Amino acid sequence: MPLTPMDIYKLLPKTNCKKCGEQTCMSFAFKLLNREKKLEDCRPLFEEKKYEVQLKKLKEILKPLEKATETGLIVNSDKCNGCGNCIVVCPVHVEKDPQGAGSGRGPTISDPIYRIENGKLVIKNMHACRRYGKSRILCVVCRENCPTDAISFLEG
Amino acid sequence: MICTACSCLCDDIELEDGKILNACERGYKHISEYRQNRAKNSVNGKEVDLDKAIEAAAEILKSASSPVIYGMDTITVEAQKLAIKIAEKLGGYIDDNSSFCLGEFVEAILKKEVPSATLDQVRDYAYVIIYWGTNVYRSLPRHMSKYTYYPRGAKRNRGYDEDRFLVVIDIRKSEIAKLAKKNAKFIKVENDVELVESFLKAVEGKASKYDVGGVIREMKRADFNVVFGGLGLKYGLKGNYGLFFEFIRKMNEITPLYFLPSGFHSNMRGFNETLFEIVGAVNKFSFSEKKSDKAFEFSELLRRNAIDAALIIGTDPVSSLPYDVSRNLMAVKKITIDPKNTLTASISEVSIRSALSGIESGGEMVRSDGVRQKLRPIEKTEYDDVYILKKILEGL
Repeated sequence: MPLTPMDIYKLLPKTNCKKCGEQTCMSFAFKLLNREKKLEDCRPLFEEKKYEVQLKKLKEILKPLEKATETGLIVNSDKCNGCGNCIVVCPVHVEKDPQGAGSGRGPTISDPIYRIENGKLVIKNMHACRRYGKSRILCVVCRENCPTDAISFLEG
Repeated sequence: MICTACSCLCDDIELEDGKILNACERGYKHISEYRQNRAKNSVNGKEVDLDKAIEAAAEILKSASSPVIYGMDTITVEAQKLAIKIAEKLGGYIDDNSSFCLGEFVEAILKKEVPSATLDQVRDYAYVIIYWGTNVYRSLPRHMSKYTYYPRGAKRNRGYDEDRFLVVIDIRKSEIAKLAKKNAKFIKVENDVELVESFLKAVEGKASKYDVGGVIREMKRADFNVVFGGLGLKYGLKGNYGLFFEFIRKMNEITPLYFLPSGFHSNMRGFNETLFEIVGAVNKFSFSEKKSDKAFEFSELLRRNAIDAALIIGTDPVSSLPYDVSRNLMAVKKITIDPKNTLTASISEVSIRSALSGIESGGEMVRSDGVRQKLRPIEKTEYDDVYILKKILEGL
């Protein structure tokens, strides 16, 4: 199940104390998921004993965040068999490398987003992804065309 | 280099800093583990040098009254020609895995009973792509991404969701069936023959069990459509190949529909083509009776105990054939030529270690669509299949 801001919000103190610098706990939950804030920024959660159980749960559900890249991408190598669908469908690859990855061959550019190394998908250059940076869009083409769900994004 | 793990024969494999790039998991295992579990040259379980093993092999074949040559789907065309020559000289049987794989489909294409195309044409022009009874995600992992559905081609450059129409026909929701989302259709089939009949009825505008009118409408929109048939289709048809080819021909009266087999070993089509050129049959051929027949299928010969010696090249019947059939191998004198120490090699009277085609030895192989590829090996060894088979031929 993908992680949503609501899942995080439910476990926060919900007091809107503003100690983290955000107006509400909900907006803190959003920023936490986008990794603009850290869990440690919520001071009451660590200082007050009554939140102990919630804190433990939060740490647990936020674990996948550590594995994900800055674009929220998680690749599960165990499920990947290197079919390369994700590489060929990626709109960035098609634009930058029409004769290579766009036409079904292995990427011929020096900095592709993905590459198949030793039979598994490897993330090479996340900065070229359409999900990266300020003007990002929530592109999910690679995930949509993975037959075994080896690719997933934090937001689902 | 060219990967020889499956019949895709991907030609964009690169080696860089000890990493294998662009190959799928199947190809990676094939290339990276080529040094592991290698066969030994042995006679009756005792290790000997290559010449002795070849001598013993020639001796067994010479004294056999009814020998068979079997396998050859993973060796080069050059080696296959030599193997056929050996069978001819012995007046024996010759057969490969295509007799229980997709031999009938390749035969129909070679006899020009159905129109076929190359995978490069599919990439450039195909609109409706039908996968029938084949899960290429497992058998040919890069098939969809390299040749068919996903790549942008000369006339199909707007991507898969606009310029292609995917149809997956299978008995279960396979991995590739999950990809049939937008502009696509998944047909869960219970009876392949009924589905072919449904297609034939839909061509005439009649309704039937399966709703395939939409697929026909999509096919009419384009000037290039393709069906990939796998083992699911072959066994689902229960021998009614004629009906299926009739459907392809009927479709071609309305709109171009090409047929391609999908699956099998790296050079199975190469063997079918080579044998077809020489004798006019694709497999299960007897040189003494000069004809091809179901009774000359390797598994049938074993079942009937009709052979006394078998030259098994690059395949492992002990693992791949049912026990009821393969146990009869124990009564047959076996010579195995294989790079790997397979189960069959370990119980053979003579085992000869050969080179892995595409990695240690060069030559030519034929892709599943009939395109010939020159292998680019990364190593070079003198003792490859061609050398071994030439020596055996000389020894006869």
